[in-house]
Amino acid sequence: MTKTFITLVATTMLAFSVVSVAQDVAPMDADVAVAQARDAEAAEARSRDEFRSLDTDVQSLKKEVLDLNRDLFLLEEELLFPANSQVAFFVSMDVGEYFELDSVSIKIDGKEVANYLYTAREADALVRGGVHRVHMANLKTGEHEIIAIFTGKGPNVRDYRRGATTVIDKGIGAKYLELEITDRIKKQQPEFVIKEWE
Amino acid sequence: MKFRKACIALIFGVFAASSLAAGNMEGQQAPDFALKSSTGENMRLSEYRGDVVMINFWATWCGPCRQEMPLLDELYSRYQRVGFNLLGVNIDDDSRRAMDMIEDLGVNFPVLFDARKEVSKLYDVDAMPVTVIVDRQGTVRYVHQGYKPGYEEMYLDQIRSLLRE
Repeated sequence: MTKTFITLVATTMLAFSVVSVAQDVAPMDADVAVAQARDAEAAEARSRDEFRSLDTDVQSLKKEVLDLNRDLFLLEEELLFPANSQVAFFVSMDVGEYFELDSVSIKIDGKEVANYLYTAREADALVRGGVHRVHMANLKTGEHEIIAIFTGKGPNVRDYRRGATTVIDKGIGAKYLELEITDRIKKQQPEFVIKEWE
Repeated sequence: MKFRKACIALIFGVFAASSLAAGNMEGQQAPDFALKSSTGENMRLSEYRGDVVMINFWATWCGPCRQEMPLLDELYSRYQRVGFNLLGVNIDDDSRRAMDMIEDLGVNFPVLFDARKEVSKLYDVDAMPVTVIVDRQGTVRYVHQGYKPGYEEMYLDQIRSLLRE
């Protein structure tokens, strides 16, 4: 009986001592855990900041790419459809009694850029008031020499070859030139003029 | 052995490429052109839209062309009334020689002069003669390279079927 009592007391005391030891150890573990949690939080915040700055970088890069893309698009547009550098050439004929049109050749700054043969039907359409756009070119701003050579049958059905020349000052904006064939009744000869449309 | 195989492959390749150059025009819109003709008039292909047009590229130095032209002229005189046109495109540098040959052969179809070779480039002409048949809608339907006796029968069949369309 006494033995049992002693064992019980000893067990109770041991239990108390374990609890007290545990109470001594517990505050130390909590500190470490808190410190670890703080560290983890700080690391997370750092990584979040890094991610944010990376995101900002990506965004700015994306914007730059978009800007570059827009610039490229505009450049491409300007290259493909440079309205400002456009020069269009039109052939017209008034009366046409003294001249039967066969072909028109156009030279810009000494280089042949167009040579158009007119069939009888096309020439007839011109005599009836039609206007034919014979060539489109893109020219830089500045002065350019334009030469138009007209061949066909002149008075008395003789072979006829005449040229007309002009110097144009290409500014900003498109330019339209008319290669006009008219009759000079006094001289009974055809006349070839290059006109600039305003 | 390998060299022989390579040679054979090369020869086949060249033939395939040449047939492709001519064949790949079939089904496409015939490129338009205007040329001066033997009568002094300028002729433009697009003005014959609505007719079946045969374009025959030829040269004075080409033997088969000389053989073929009178036969083509027969086709022209037979079917001209029902909407068939034949344009002979001569590619010689000197048109006078072509004129002499036309007179010798006594052909009546219009002959156009492509001394600058612009039209023959447009049609990828890399053999002589080359015959292109264009339908009423202006689409290239048949391209024939060279000429062998009996081709005229094939031309006849093709022209008749296109005229019926």
